[in-house]
Amino acid sequence: MNPMLWGVGTSDYGLQPEKRVEQLCWTAIAEAVADAGITPADIDAIIVGSVFGPPGVATRVQRGIGLPGVPMWTVENACASGTSAYHEAVEAVRSGRFGCVLVLGVDQMSTLFSGAIVPEATDPEGASSLPLPGLYALGAQRYVQEFGVTPEQLAAVAVKNKRNGLDNPRAQLRKAAPTIEEVLSSRMIAEPLTFLQCCPTSDGAGAVIVGGERGREGDLRIEASAMVSGALWDHRSDDVWGYASVARAAEQAYAQAERTPSEIDVMEVHDAFTIGEIVTLEALGVAPRGKGAELAPSGHTARDGVQPVNPSGGLLSRGHPLGGTGTAQIAEIAWQLRGRAGARQVARHRVGMVETMGGGAAGMDGNACVVTILSRP
Amino acid sequence: MALGEGRPTKRRPGSAVGGLPVADSRPVFDGDAVVGVRCTVCRYPVAQNGIPWCPSCYGTVEPARFATTGAAWTSTVVGIPVGERRPPFGLAYLDLDDGPRVLVHLVEPAILRTGERLRITGTDAGDLVAEVTA
Repeated sequence: MNPMLWGVGTSDYGLQPEKRVEQLCWTAIAEAVADAGITPADIDAIIVGSVFGPPGVATRVQRGIGLPGVPMWTVENACASGTSAYHEAVEAVRSGRFGCVLVLGVDQMSTLFSGAIVPEATDPEGASSLPLPGLYALGAQRYVQEFGVTPEQLAAVAVKNKRNGLDNPRAQLRKAAPTIEEVLSSRMIAEPLTFLQCCPTSDGAGAVIVGGERGREGDLRIEASAMVSGALWDHRSDDVWGYASVARAAEQAYAQAERTPSEIDVMEVHDAFTIGEIVTLEALGVAPRGKGAELAPSGHTARDGVQPVNPSGGLLSRGHPLGGTGTAQIAEIAWQLRGRAGARQVARHRVGMVETMGGGAAGMDGNACVVTILSRP
Repeated sequence: MALGEGRPTKRRPGSAVGGLPVADSRPVFDGDAVVGVRCTVCRYPVAQNGIPWCPSCYGTVEPARFATTGAAWTSTVVGIPVGERRPPFGLAYLDLDDGPRVLVHLVEPAILRTGERLRITGTDAGDLVAEVTA
């Protein structure tokens, strides 16, 4: 079966500790089921992507949606958990194992952390107090010295995405977009990354329905889905952290879809920190190595640019509920490709791409990365 | 009580932030050298102990002692508290001479030049600490 995206749904994103984690999921699932034009009984399997759960969240969600007994499992691949769950659904439909799969991505970060994620104590670098913004900052500082990336170029990514997010009614940050100067004068988190270059702590869920071809208006073709785990971040290589895992997944996805980077009209990529979007776009082949920082200032990746990147506002504006991020990215690309993104709608929207990269394990070039390419049939 | 206060979770933060202790996975410095393993086939150096084979070529590994000197690959100064660390604190990836890349805390928080020479001077609460050498 050729896998198709049937429907998407999401909760709002933001600090929502007063909501039950199941409520975030039920909101997303109800929207996705209606969007796909199915009934709950059509769902053959449920795959959940979540980092911090809580353990058993999938079953507690089941209590409200009444699908007991269908095959169900939860995957954890750091920030790529939601898209890893989606990838498994795509492969299951492609191979004929299931006809209709509900993908759910969720995390409720506000009940766990009041600021940056506390590094994992069992990790060699986590135990040495390397926070995730620090890991990204180490890559950013390398780019500053190796390629002459400027603070203004880094800040331009935040300005672009936070401006995009103003038009996203579900985004966490919707007040006003900062200027370059405001981004740079916000407090230093890990040099050179300032506070406004870091995604906010967020709660949220997203649901995606994947099935086979059925000829329904609005269904989107899943041209490619590639998932790779992290590999040794070999110190003999000059790659900054994360680059190689994204490049591996991208290479597979382009090959599957038989497409080149310039054919992608619109994309949602993993901008947990400004440098993340820059390195990722290089790994995706949108810019040559060392030139990714020029994309936001030049307008190439603006909403009205040649290749809009993160029209939703990205993680920097929408927020980053780890497992809920991949499904949020897929939802945005679905809305964009269907021409239903409202004030955020981009002009060219036939082919879209989602990239999610999760990491944090010391010595690895990422924990996992998923790249998927979708198109309007 | 504010929302979220006093609600136990299954999160494992480690003893540095009030959780239960976990086994230490950090690179070991024994006073003279960083202790790890090296591949007997491709000579790939690793600052982790107890691994079953070379993660680069699957060859047999043997115990190795690595130099305490090397070159900075990149660095940052962290401006937020993390665990028991209070800002500002400096971190760098240090490529040990003929050895692995290790994360070190800097005696003086600073942004270093790529390739700047560093030397591990000891440990602080189990973290490797390095200083710039002339």
